Amino acid sequence: MLMPKKVKYRKSHRGRMRGKAGRGSTLSFGEFGLQALEPCWLTARQLEAGRITITRFVKRRGKLWLRAFPWKPVTKKPTEVRMGKGKGDPEFWVDVIRPGRIIFELEGVPEDLAKEAMRLAAHKLPIKTRFVSRENRELR
Amino acid sequence: MNLVIKSEKRDAFGKNASRRIRKGGLIPAILYGEGADNVPLVVSKKDVIKILKSESGENTIFRIVFDSEEANVMIKALQLDPTTDELLHADLIKIAMDKEIRVQVPIELVGEAVGVKSEGGFVDFMAREVEIECLPGNIPDHLTVDISGLHLHQAVKAAEIVTPEGVKLLADPGAVIVMVQVPHEEKVEVKPEEEAAAVAAESAEPEVIKKERAPKDEEEKA
Repeated sequence: MLMPKKVKYRKSHRGRMRGKAGRGSTLSFGEFGLQALEPCWLTARQLEAGRITITRFVKRRGKLWLRAFPWKPVTKKPTEVRMGKGKGDPEFWVDVIRPGRIIFELEGVPEDLAKEAMRLAAHKLPIKTRFVSRENRELR
Repeated sequence: MNLVIKSEKRDAFGKNASRRIRKGGLIPAILYGEGADNVPLVVSKKDVIKILKSESGENTIFRIVFDSEEANVMIKALQLDPTTDELLHADLIKIAMDKEIRVQVPIELVGEAVGVKSEGGFVDFMAREVEIECLPGNIPDHLTVDISGLHLHQAVKAAEIVTPEGVKLLADPGAVIVMVQVPHEEKVEVKPEEEAAAVAAESAEPEVIKKERAPKDEEEKA
């Protein structure tokens, strides 16, 4: 599972998920992508599940980029422990996703295959998403 | 060049005024360049979209008319809503037709690579745009790259791009533009023991970077 190799601080504040994605909202590498339409904490497990789904579906074809990285530690207290006595221990890692963020990018496969792969991967994520491609971008 | 867009000077600024402008099918814009003062404008969203959809796209040079003034301009930057792709704001830059400018031009691939047709590879399009320098009138819509002769692991580098006369390529000549690559091998299934080790490694925490104290601080404390 993805997580940082080194961190400056073991635990982090929860923070807020207001607003839209400032960066990482355009296709930078591939031809197709999966874009988040809602904010969420995307866990390393969800990201890995999406990645596996796409690589298995496209069967060794093309190239996949993960545009999200779980850099933020989330702590949890053990079960049946009273409140207080400090913050819990880091339990898992997440990335803070804001609407507009591209999560996966894919290249070297036909559009219909990429669309289906992204649809399957989207089922592994806790948010609404949309399929984006370089060619079919409709400005409004 | 033949395209003329009418606009008006904008005297209302800020979030509220901009939203009101956008409701009317217009967008706020700013015009600058050539040593002139910035001019805040209001332009029609439809006109900007028409320019972007044209063959030359963002590199289109058009004339903008406002308050009995006229200028050759091109789109420098655009602000889009990341989720709805709605056009929010445009930066326009004045262009002197006799001065060379630097622009990014898209690359168009031609043909189907041999490495894809018969060798099981795929086309990895690494640089979709390259920077060029030329007179505003000579900006090509796109640069074509023929990939039909590419076998597996072969690439087209920036130096191999053929540019029209009067166009100078600024990209690093050694930069790879497009390459025919072999897809990554599928992972071998993990054995249970390895899986357990992987889980253990997963639960391990990353190293915490500790700040080394400056010797002065320690002396002070002592």
